[in-house]
Amino acid sequence: MAKEVYEVTIWARGVFQDMEGRHATLLMANAADLGGKFVQAWDDYADLPDRVGVPLRKYVRLSNEEIAMRFVYVNNHPELVVIMDDTIVKGLNVLRGMPQGGSIVVNTKRSADEILAFIPNKELLANIVCVDASGIASDAAIDFMGSEGGVEVAAVGAGISAPLVGAAAKVCDMFTVENVVKVAANKDGVQKGYDAAEVKSL
Amino acid sequence: MSKYSIPKHLEVPIGACLPSPVKEQPGMITGNWRTERPVIDHEACTTCLNCFIYCPDGCWHLDEKTEQMVWNADYCKGCMICVNECPANCLSTVNELEFPDGVIRLEKPF
Amino acid sequence: MAKEVFYSGCAAAAYGAKDARVEVISSYPIRPYTGIMMELSKLVANGELDAEFVLGEGEHAQVSIAYGASSAGARAYTGSSGVGVVYAMECYSPAAGGRLPCQMAIADRALDPPGDFGSEHTDVMSARDQGWIMGWAESPQEVYDNTIMFYKIGEDRRVLLPQFCCQDGYFVSHIPGKMQLEDQKAVDEFLPPFNSPHPLNPEKPINHGPQIYADQGSAIDVQRAMAFEGLPAVIEEVVADYNKQFGRSYSPFVDEYMMDDAEIAFFLQGGHARTARFAVNNLRKQGVKAGVARLRFVRPWPTDAVAESLSKVKAVGTIETSTSYGGATRGGNLVHELMASLYNVPNKPLVTSFMAGLGGEIVTLDMFYDMAKVLSGAVKNQKVNHSYWVNFEPEVPFRPE
Repeated sequence: MAKEVYEVTIWARGVFQDMEGRHATLLMANAADLGGKFVQAWDDYADLPDRVGVPLRKYVRLSNEEIAMRFVYVNNHPELVVIMDDTIVKGLNVLRGMPQGGSIVVNTKRSADEILAFIPNKELLANIVCVDASGIASDAAIDFMGSEGGVEVAAVGAGISAPLVGAAAKVCDMFTVENVVKVAANKDGVQKGYDAAEVKSL
Repeated sequence: MSKYSIPKHLEVPIGACLPSPVKEQPGMITGNWRTERPVIDHEACTTCLNCFIYCPDGCWHLDEKTEQMVWNADYCKGCMICVNECPANCLSTVNELEFPDGVIRLEKPF
Repeated sequence: MAKEVFYSGCAAAAYGAKDARVEVISSYPIRPYTGIMMELSKLVANGELDAEFVLGEGEHAQVSIAYGASSAGARAYTGSSGVGVVYAMECYSPAAGGRLPCQMAIADRALDPPGDFGSEHTDVMSARDQGWIMGWAESPQEVYDNTIMFYKIGEDRRVLLPQFCCQDGYFVSHIPGKMQLEDQKAVDEFLPPFNSPHPLNPEKPINHGPQIYADQGSAIDVQRAMAFEGLPAVIEEVVADYNKQFGRSYSPFVDEYMMDDAEIAFFLQGGHARTARFAVNNLRKQGVKAGVARLRFVRPWPTDAVAESLSKVKAVGTIETSTSYGGATRGGNLVHELMASLYNVPNKPLVTSFMAGLGGEIVTLDMFYDMAKVLSGAVKNQKVNHSYWVNFEPEVPFRPE
């Protein structure tokens, strides 16, 4: 039975992917909002993203009803985990707290089996999605404006976040790829990500 | 007897004063920060110790017994300064996922 | 044109300051308020806001710069969090006593030790006695609205007092929410430029803060008491005007939720009121008549409004998000003034202080249910402890971790 609040955790690397990670949350939240969902999208407060390469987390919460527990620090039970740099799966239990039957979306040139070899608790997964988001869209410029609660300067969804969220739309029913296309700057990228995404059911 | 009681998982030493790490800090593993790692060719290495000197995290040291450079996988952040500074060109950069192990897998970032 | 946006509390404060046309901004970085200054520096740099942006060498310098600018007749804006607020403590009284209506944005943060950037109100609550106006917002929309309203209140000739515009660090300052930015012209109409009655001016020299004899001091204090005497009426006026002009429905002092027939009540300030309302919805479904009274101004403490709001309940618990070690109830700060407000009320409710939400702790729905249990038990037994540290007292029926 699905929980009331659908949780998404996005993992990215500090400095060069901080903005992209945040854009991924904004794309999901804005797309879900167009679809009439109640949304929350924010950065992890303790991760201190201004360190090159540090694994960091961004969160999205989506619900059909108003979200009661708005004030949380982390998503403890993410149904969907999005990995912006594939090497992250090796060093961290990215599926921690995932309820049975969740999904993982990975930005990688490697095959699903190669990635799964690094995830010992893969039995939690219903499916894994691999997409070469970095190949479809280039990394956008680095921008620190949003990471302490400031307003985004760069257009949301111009870089690798677009194909990555497009791919995520294949396994998440809380937002549609059509709505992601509407809210993203790189609209082709979203569609390409959706089309190129390889979903492997487990 | 206090009427207050602190649950086990929130226990903290008095005044939050903690012992300091001496050699390594196991509470701050940074090996998972890297996307690629330096790989050494021991034949070509001249043990000039440039990598030891330039590494900002102290991840190279010379093993006296084997007379070979030893790399610290737990803390290397993959900055590649050692690869850049090696005069013998014995260090190469390889993507982390080419290796099945060599990273302490953390439950949470910290 | 009013614009709907998805902004954090930090961005809301920055845009509030921008729309209030602040003239001097003095900054110094500290989490979590730092996002406000990051945003303002961007707006000043790209010409969207015509203001002097100054970097103080510390929070003490920062507040000095702000009230210095105010004494020259400028609308000044500054801010801080946590230990920074306490570092600037010396500067608060001169600003208030000199009747210099600058504004300080506070995104609260627990004080050291150790290094904790979670939300706790103690930092600026410990400046309650300095003579500033002080109030908490519960959402990014309210942060924006308060920024503009507080200037109107503080700069009113009958008031002339500086203001702390506060929000919960991280919970409100860093989690974005939907809100509306108002049209600049509409804000200009509501908030005219600052017209200081005694600005520093070389053509008309004036002395700020001269040395006095000790027996003259009490008269000056009475003058400040007079400002606070007339202040609640000004607040009511300004809030009513703002509501009318911008379509809001803020009550000036106490934001009530389901208080009409409540038997037990949660009394608190800041963001956790939102969670409290959801908890009350669920409690009502179980037949518990609970309500929430959210305080919007802690200075001036709205004694009459608080008494009126809570006089009919049978038990009220404050959710203290600030500490006052060794205080009379061994609880927090709100409870003492709440008790004072209710002292003369016949059949006054039982009052207790729940220590929850400290150091950045999330106040969960479960915690509210447990607190409701304590309050209901208090009504039944007609007695209650002075204070409870929620989740840290095994004798009390709080859920174990």
